[in-house]
Amino acid sequence: MFKNTIKASYKGLIIEPAIVNFAAGRILTKVNTPFPQAKIETYIKYRLFHIKPAIEITTKLFRKHYKCGRCLNDQQSKFIHFDCAKCDQICTYCRHCIAMGRIISCANLIAWNGPQPHISKNHEMCWDGTFTKLQARASQELSDSIAAKRQHLIHAVCGAGKTEILFTAIYKALKKGLRICVATPRTDVVLELFPRFQKVFPNTILHALYGGGPEQKGYPQLVLATTHQLYRFEHAFDVMIVDEADAFPYTFDSALQKAVQKAKKPNAPVAYVTATPSEKLLAYKEGYSFIPKRYHNFPLPVPRFSSLWNYEKQIKKEQLPTKLMEWTKQRLASEEPFLIFFPTIDLLEKAMPLFQKLHASITSVHAEDVNRKEKVMQLRNAEIPGLLTTTILERGITIKNVQVAVVGAESSIFTASALIQIAGRVGRNAHFHGGDIVFYHHGITTEMDSAKEEIENLNELGFGGEL
Amino acid sequence: MKKEIYYCLLCERELQNIVTWQTLLERNWPQTICDKCAGKFELNDNIEDSVQILYSYNEAMKDYLHQYKFMHDVVLAKVFRNEIHLALSHRTETMVPIPMHPEKLRQRTFAHVDELLNAAQISYIHLLEKTTTDTQVGKSKEERQRVASLFQIDINKQVEPKDYLIVDDIYTTGTTIKHAQQTLLDAGAKSVTAFVLIRG
Repeated sequence: MFKNTIKASYKGLIIEPAIVNFAAGRILTKVNTPFPQAKIETYIKYRLFHIKPAIEITTKLFRKHYKCGRCLNDQQSKFIHFDCAKCDQICTYCRHCIAMGRIISCANLIAWNGPQPHISKNHEMCWDGTFTKLQARASQELSDSIAAKRQHLIHAVCGAGKTEILFTAIYKALKKGLRICVATPRTDVVLELFPRFQKVFPNTILHALYGGGPEQKGYPQLVLATTHQLYRFEHAFDVMIVDEADAFPYTFDSALQKAVQKAKKPNAPVAYVTATPSEKLLAYKEGYSFIPKRYHNFPLPVPRFSSLWNYEKQIKKEQLPTKLMEWTKQRLASEEPFLIFFPTIDLLEKAMPLFQKLHASITSVHAEDVNRKEKVMQLRNAEIPGLLTTTILERGITIKNVQVAVVGAESSIFTASALIQIAGRVGRNAHFHGGDIVFYHHGITTEMDSAKEEIENLNELGFGGEL
Repeated sequence: MKKEIYYCLLCERELQNIVTWQTLLERNWPQTICDKCAGKFELNDNIEDSVQILYSYNEAMKDYLHQYKFMHDVVLAKVFRNEIHLALSHRTETMVPIPMHPEKLRQRTFAHVDELLNAAQISYIHLLEKTTTDTQVGKSKEERQRVASLFQIDINKQVEPKDYLIVDDIYTTGTTIKHAQQTLLDAGAKSVTAFVLIRG
């Protein structure tokens, strides 16, 4: 460990614990801290922060090559060069992570170089649930992998009780004094997990980090974060857990994958948790746990296909296709909550008034909807009969006795894994383990076929002997 | 035609630059935002106090201004370049952008009004100087109008008896424009009109 270690010399300076707690493990700009800038400057003078360039510029084949020091993005089209009035020359900034504050070549990044914060080993786990045999095994396997510092993949069907599996493994790691991060591509998932984790680990300082989230105090030994927030960390975590590791935009954006690697300590293990692992994840695994069964020991509902020819034309002509109307009326009559997935926001908005003719309080959610959380809550509390949605609700939500229809299941946005996740919303409750999942389509795609095959396969693996 | 921007600057969707006879003949710059994002901006129809204003202020415009002026995303100056070029290229007056205080300019690293004009390839000169670092934000109409002159003429520059056109990004109560107008008229300008991107 001799890499650029200019030792911090902080004689005559009392280091504020609040700054240590905040800065440890983070990579920051001088202006983006909750502390006065003068104070940060003093700490820099005392070498309590490392300084590194914000944009790394190298020369490749006589051409300059740029890389952002925070998000590690190196897509050259994402770098903007402009005439900087501060420096009177051309400066460069990164557009990839600009939403978190601009990273510009004429400013530096700072990383903590001072003493490490106090780490508590006094943790408590308040969880009195019991594991199924498969859950217990997966939990043990995960703990073993973390201890051995090897990568691990938990491949568990929707509703297998993945979060509970994490609890014991995290508890063991916390007691060893390790710093743990649970990262996920979706803000919704962070918001759903945070209260559950707070309840289970009452003595642990736990922060939830997401875009627009509140400022939180203390040194968090356990961090729940969206993968985007990991840009702000460097070599910070001893254990990294990526939940819903196959979700958009994580799989799509290579910078996010780099961010996971950057945020953890170089030899720290990563555990991926998902119901629908990509081929790549399956290929690179070192440790592997597979749970083909739900915690309540009932098989996964298998989707049925139903043709809905020219649904797009009909909806555009302000006509609700008969089959879809009948399905919705049935749900309304039997007072079952329902979700109807649409391939595009456009189609969703066109269909919305047609559904409201059936029941005035049917409403819709999509990615840009600020009231997303509230609307899902309303559905859960039976204040509204059903929701129309885009793929934004494909994962992470649990609603008792929900019935699901996918309109336009042949659309390219509904990949096999998206369809499996959507089908996974149904029958998660032990008392309502069945339920209808129907794919309305204008022609069957291979993605639909492989989703159905995969679900049937999982059921066979889980219940091979028993059924 | 060199395509410099492949994804919408506002929503990251892939841009479909369709080449039509119109695009070939009119010599426009290629699009920088998608049709969907462009459709969210509202055009402004009424002319106020002989000030030409292109857009109304709405949710989309608020997000745009935030990203451009406060997140310092300089490249967004290109978003309205076709519209600004169309509105100003045939004007015969001398363009005078509202300046920034040098201190603020260093903080922001770019002059947002100048960059809008640069992107639209409209030439301009600086005649005015800001006298205070105060901004107009958060003040009532009375407070705004009561303050001493916000501008003075740059002592190295000469105001000629010509027609001038003041350019600014946003028009709220019109105080900034009025002050600039008065300063130029007092220094001997023949006439002073104004062009503003957004009606606040």
